[in-house]
Amino acid sequence: MGLTRDMGRRVELVSMDPHFHDITLGLYRQDHNGRPQYLVYTYSGLPGAIERRETITQIAQILGGTDRFSDWLQFSCGSAHQTAARRLFLESCKQAPAAVSSARPLGILDKKTGRNIVVSNVGGGVYQIAADGPEEGKAARIDAIANGLKKLGELTAVPEHPDQVAFPCGQSHDALVGLLLPRALNVRAILREEEEAGTRGLLVAPSQQK
Amino acid sequence: MVATMTSRERVLAALAREPVDRTPSCNPTSVATVELMDLARAPFPEACRLAEPMARLAATGYTELGFDTIMPVFSIIQESSALGCKIQWEQKDNWPTVRMREPIWEKHEDVRIPDGLLNHPDVKCVTDAIRILRREFGNEVAIIGKTMGPWSLGYHCFGVEPFLLLSLDDPGKTKLCLDKMKEITVRFGLAQIEAGADALTLPDHATGDLVSGEYYARYLRDLHIEFAERLPVPIILHICGRTVDRMEFIAQTGMAAFHYDSKNDPAESMAVVKNRISLVGNINNPETLFSRGPEQVKAEVYKNMDAGVQLIGPECAVPLQTSIENLKAIPEAIRSWHKEHAGNN
Repeated sequence: MGLTRDMGRRVELVSMDPHFHDITLGLYRQDHNGRPQYLVYTYSGLPGAIERRETITQIAQILGGTDRFSDWLQFSCGSAHQTAARRLFLESCKQAPAAVSSARPLGILDKKTGRNIVVSNVGGGVYQIAADGPEEGKAARIDAIANGLKKLGELTAVPEHPDQVAFPCGQSHDALVGLLLPRALNVRAILREEEEAGTRGLLVAPSQQK
Repeated sequence: MVATMTSRERVLAALAREPVDRTPSCNPTSVATVELMDLARAPFPEACRLAEPMARLAATGYTELGFDTIMPVFSIIQESSALGCKIQWEQKDNWPTVRMREPIWEKHEDVRIPDGLLNHPDVKCVTDAIRILRREFGNEVAIIGKTMGPWSLGYHCFGVEPFLLLSLDDPGKTKLCLDKMKEITVRFGLAQIEAGADALTLPDHATGDLVSGEYYARYLRDLHIEFAERLPVPIILHICGRTVDRMEFIAQTGMAAFHYDSKNDPAESMAVVKNRISLVGNINNPETLFSRGPEQVKAEVYKNMDAGVQLIGPECAVPLQTSIENLKAIPEAIRSWHKEHAGNN
């Protein structure tokens, strides 16, 4: 009798948890009554692994503003938002335990330009990005951040409003936008991180090794 | 109609191209993943260096994933470590590798097999793990060992580029090197057989990207014939990449099976080998098993089974981050294929 469980489709993986004995953590997705739900899980039997998993679930609940049903998390709108859920999981695993008590704000200092970036919920799942400082370069920076949010959270463009992005579900997700905003400032770093993670653990023939 | 077989009987019959109750799922290289490492309390690199975690992790291929084989030799560096190569042992989430830019040999006179080769901890852990597995599972499941061929050892010990250049510049000396290194392959192979291995994978990386089919025939075919004669269990030759151009030669070696890559079409490959050697494979690793879902895995399993491939499994050692769900999909798809084709038998 095997010990592995059918937890649905694994959508993200942290191979080595930096905060707890290098255990492996997975994010699994199942649809319950047509509503996608997510489970943080580890096969580690180390003492404390269950508590670590619970900590990450709690952090994800706060940072993503998700609802919780037993061990499963879901977005209140009932949509999957899978790309955002994966990012939420990765960010939650990175957080030092007990360091998270509230969702992240909708504003941040953009160190690259020295501008304050503020994102406002304008209703219907639409968010507007604004920046202070000189006009020169402002629109381009807002555009870049909007593209970052689109990429990291599968948000969509709003026609004729390049400074706005929208969740296709039409619902508000302030916590999620707060989570994605700091990463949207530098999406290239995220893509590099993903690329590096994607090549680790692949065995290549000796002729292909460096 | 063939009576129900044990996993071991099924694998050995398929390797001999004899009738089977169903096609076996076979892992000639590695199905170790980071999640299974947690489950078995056997993380890399310890699971590549200590017999007990090695055996525990290997067993999950059978107990958790449902394969018909257990393969405890996850890496390709065990004997190279014993020969003195520098090894980058890495962490749980990555493969140990030989530092081939720091070769230990330059010329054929340098090739020397240490007296204590089989007692080196990185070699002995393999034979000890096979003994543990044989004791635990008896004759229920096929236990497969692994011994590296001399071409791969040449890359490890001389460095890839120097070894290939030597093969271009001086075929005579290259053959001398291969002839000396083949004894490593045989000794380690025999030790694993003595420990209880039912079959041996023999990776010899004359890969399609660097070595032509003609090269294979010139340097390796006769050596591989010799391995098939001297190692008294079924041998599964493993070469990555596009290899259709050498399958004719490989089929002449007398080896039991060829573990082949997804770069080769199953039907085309079966047509070349003409039932002289079994094929094992060839579910794609980086795209299918690593990045896609069970539906795509199933489609590749079906493509192999439709072509009559004798044993189904991943094309090579699976990425350590592969999902358990995708690996389980291989034996599940085999069963579902047989169910769908039951009326045709």
